[in-house]
Amino acid sequence: MEGNMILLLPMLCPIAAGIVVLAGKVFRKNRKYLTGLSVMVLVLEFALALWAVMSGGGLTMLRLTDQLSLGLHADGVSRLFAMLTASVWLLVGIYSVAYMSHEEEEHRFFGYYLIAVGVLMGLNFSANLITLYVFYELMTLTSLPLVLHERSKEAVRAGLKYLFYSVAGAFLALFGIFFLAGVSESLTFTAGGVLNDGALAGKEGVFLISAFCMILGFGAKAGMFPLHGWLPTAHPVAPACASAVLSGLITKAGVLAIIRVVYYVIGADRLRGTWVQNAWILLTLLTVFMGSMLAYKEPVMKKRLAYSTVSQVSYVLFGLSMLNQTAFVGALSHVVFHSVIKNVLFLTAGAVIVTTGWTRVEQMRGLGQVMPKTLACYTAAALALIGIPPASGFVSKWYLASGALSSGTGVWAWAGPAVLLVSALLTAGYLLPLTIQGFFPGHDFKGEEIQKRKLTGKEPSIWMLAPIAALAAAALLFGCFPGSLISMLQSIAASVL
Amino acid sequence: MSFVQNFPFFSIILAMFSGIVSSVLPGKKARNLSLLMIAVTTALSAGTLFFCLRTGESYTYMMGHFPAPWGNEIRAGILEGATAVFFGVVMFLAVLGGLDHTAEDVEEKKLNLFYIMIDLMLSSLLALVYTNDLFTAYVFVEINTIAGCGLIMIRQKGRSMSAAIRYMIMSQLGSGLFLIGLSILYDITGHLLMSPAKESVAALAAAGDYRIPMLVIMAVIGVGLAIKSGLYPFHYWIPDTYGYATPTASAVLSGLVSKGYIFLLIKIFYRVLGYDNLVSSQMVNVLYVFGITGMVMGSLHAIHETDTRRMTAYSSVAQIGYIYMGIGLGTQPGMVAAVFHIFTHSATKALLFISAVGLYEASGDKKDYISLRGAGYRNPLAGIGFTVGSLSMVGFPMLSGFISKLLFATSALESPHKMLPTLIVLAVSTTLNAVYFLRLVITLYSRRRPEDAPISEVKVRSSWHLRLAILCFIAVNLVLGMSSQPIVQAITDGLAMFG
Repeated sequence: MEGNMILLLPMLCPIAAGIVVLAGKVFRKNRKYLTGLSVMVLVLEFALALWAVMSGGGLTMLRLTDQLSLGLHADGVSRLFAMLTASVWLLVGIYSVAYMSHEEEEHRFFGYYLIAVGVLMGLNFSANLITLYVFYELMTLTSLPLVLHERSKEAVRAGLKYLFYSVAGAFLALFGIFFLAGVSESLTFTAGGVLNDGALAGKEGVFLISAFCMILGFGAKAGMFPLHGWLPTAHPVAPACASAVLSGLITKAGVLAIIRVVYYVIGADRLRGTWVQNAWILLTLLTVFMGSMLAYKEPVMKKRLAYSTVSQVSYVLFGLSMLNQTAFVGALSHVVFHSVIKNVLFLTAGAVIVTTGWTRVEQMRGLGQVMPKTLACYTAAALALIGIPPASGFVSKWYLASGALSSGTGVWAWAGPAVLLVSALLTAGYLLPLTIQGFFPGHDFKGEEIQKRKLTGKEPSIWMLAPIAALAAAALLFGCFPGSLISMLQSIAASVL
Repeated sequence: MSFVQNFPFFSIILAMFSGIVSSVLPGKKARNLSLLMIAVTTALSAGTLFFCLRTGESYTYMMGHFPAPWGNEIRAGILEGATAVFFGVVMFLAVLGGLDHTAEDVEEKKLNLFYIMIDLMLSSLLALVYTNDLFTAYVFVEINTIAGCGLIMIRQKGRSMSAAIRYMIMSQLGSGLFLIGLSILYDITGHLLMSPAKESVAALAAAGDYRIPMLVIMAVIGVGLAIKSGLYPFHYWIPDTYGYATPTASAVLSGLVSKGYIFLLIKIFYRVLGYDNLVSSQMVNVLYVFGITGMVMGSLHAIHETDTRRMTAYSSVAQIGYIYMGIGLGTQPGMVAAVFHIFTHSATKALLFISAVGLYEASGDKKDYISLRGAGYRNPLAGIGFTVGSLSMVGFPMLSGFISKLLFATSALESPHKMLPTLIVLAVSTTLNAVYFLRLVITLYSRRRPEDAPISEVKVRSSWHLRLAILCFIAVNLVLGMSSQPIVQAITDGLAMFG
């Protein structure tokens, strides 16, 4: 243990609180204690994350062998991911207090919800590849109970699917880690890569294979084709607040791992122009298109949003695969924007389920009469995701497209933006019908069900609406005032490329 | 000569005499004597280990009055000391954890016989670890086989009888091959002590004489011990023996007995046949191919099993494959990884067998997947123990299995022709491990369905010794996983002493 101990706090504090919540009998009986403690810990977590981000520095926790150690540090990427995680987790936590009152066994949900954020913080602050791998595996295990929450047959099957895809992906990546450990001095994240030219000589073929395995393996968590199959199964079976963070943040852990591997261990220059880059671009574009297409055809709201996640996270991966500064900025900003937006969308879907019990999009006709404010927030987020200026999605897509055009990757330089454009149209196609049917159900709509069940004007409680509104506002404001965020991302991009 | 140098001899003879004394003791006293003896021999081994670490060199110890090149010798170095300590710890915990089941499975009158077998088993294992002459090795290989058969057979239920017979036949085949190898070796070198035999072998190899007999010796000894340790494709006896014996016996057989033979094999490779001869004769490549085949095939068999004990047994086949793959890499780091995996697998497999006992207790003594559903809630500590063991087998970081895999992978990078197959098979086998182990872990933590048969007799709380054993095994696993550096260093030094 040497270094800045503050970095430990955002990790240990929620994990300890989560264990207390799971073990303490009082939290099972008294809901007020449970929710009170959870929200307090989440607020504290936000403060601790801020403190850790401000104080910076590094920390070595444990030496496994001479070459391998477990350590934490706070660099630009960790700061970005840590603050994003802490703030979104807090808002969704507040929402969960109201949402989960409709579910059973709340203590288990909140217990694992807290543990998961601690583990995710460890992942965000990881200083080397081994630490990242440790937390990555732990994250799979601690987020699994969120998927399994209903404990129905369907949920167990989805949980198993989630587990196997994640574990198989992680082991694909482990294969690469083993190889990279042999050809580098240490696996500590350093902008520009740590590989040793001498050790690498003569092993280029295996090196590229292992790099590809790592991208593919960590890509499983980010829902990248061909290991995306678990995502549309696992996300919708969880409670809506869990699906929101699973889609919004846990998938980004895969993105973070890929950023660390490609830009901080391997080094972008070693992959530029190789078959690995081409294959990677191809896979991301396939995923972008396929995800949008499947979302477009999906009638169940939460599943539709899950497919949308498949597609949108691959926007980020596409930006990363360009290996170019502008696209990198686009990718990282899309990480932030997509997290915020996808949370709004899932939380809205949850609010609809709680209030009306509707799960399919065609049931939601006339939703504007039931919850106009919530639907307005949804619409704002949908517009942002489609990328209509001045909402946030426009900014990230602008950087992604212009980065791709100037990337010098041959056919991909123009094929990429074209696919993004088509996918944006599809995004409008699968998100906006809810708005249109909701606010303008048409003349033939009598709204019998709404009147019979006295649903008119029945907004969700303020505890659910406020987080949705806050996130939706963020989705818009980030687009109007992206300056400081973009300049921070540019400095990160300049350091790694 | 320092007094401590007597300790290896004392520990072997102490274990053996406890067995003899136990034959006139009632069951419970034999049990207590056995536990006491294991604790004392472990302490003696620890003394030997510290002595070797302090002096930094190994020593040989003459038994009887005939000096080298005749007579019998034992030898102790860092690696022998560490292995003996480790075997002692695992043996103690395995006996402790299985106490209740042993009492249930074994007839009251025959209980002392069980502990006689345990005593003889430990004695023979220590002898295999410490021996410096091939004849002693052979004698104790036979004692070990007989003790092993007794351990399996004593639970006179179900298929344990046929399992014991199968074990006997396969083991005798292995011992027979081993004996043939020794005879030919004695024939062409005239020695049974390891050190002079090695000199003659080196002289023969340098002169280029007896090429083919040497090759036969290597093959016959290698295959003989491989059969006894259950290397694929000689593994047919494993699932029945581990699956139907009483838990202590399963843990000891899978965790220690097969490792004793592997340790002997490594010792013979280094101290008699000469590791370089072995590498140049391609024998290591044969072991390598068997090893990687076993890694995959063992896991594939395990996936098909619904009986969890047999599943765990098949997983042993895969893990033995790992060890032989490490030996087969033909490099020093590969051997270090193999020896480390001997430790990992002993600790982890014994943990799995012992904590499974707690889960069976909570499920009416049923062993299939469906009955075990939700057992992790009914017996939380056993559930945690099994989960930790599974994660370690799968190669989760911070646990010993991860360090093993890391060592295998990094050592593979140094042998250019075997790098790619090793890495690929490691990845495939790890994924397969994950499939069956994590499936079981999820089963342990999923809710029972209404259509499941009701559990007849649920024992909610396990006895204190089972819980203590599980906790200690978890601790051993964590120690191996988190502070592996000194252990790896000790193994490297110990192998260097083999010279």
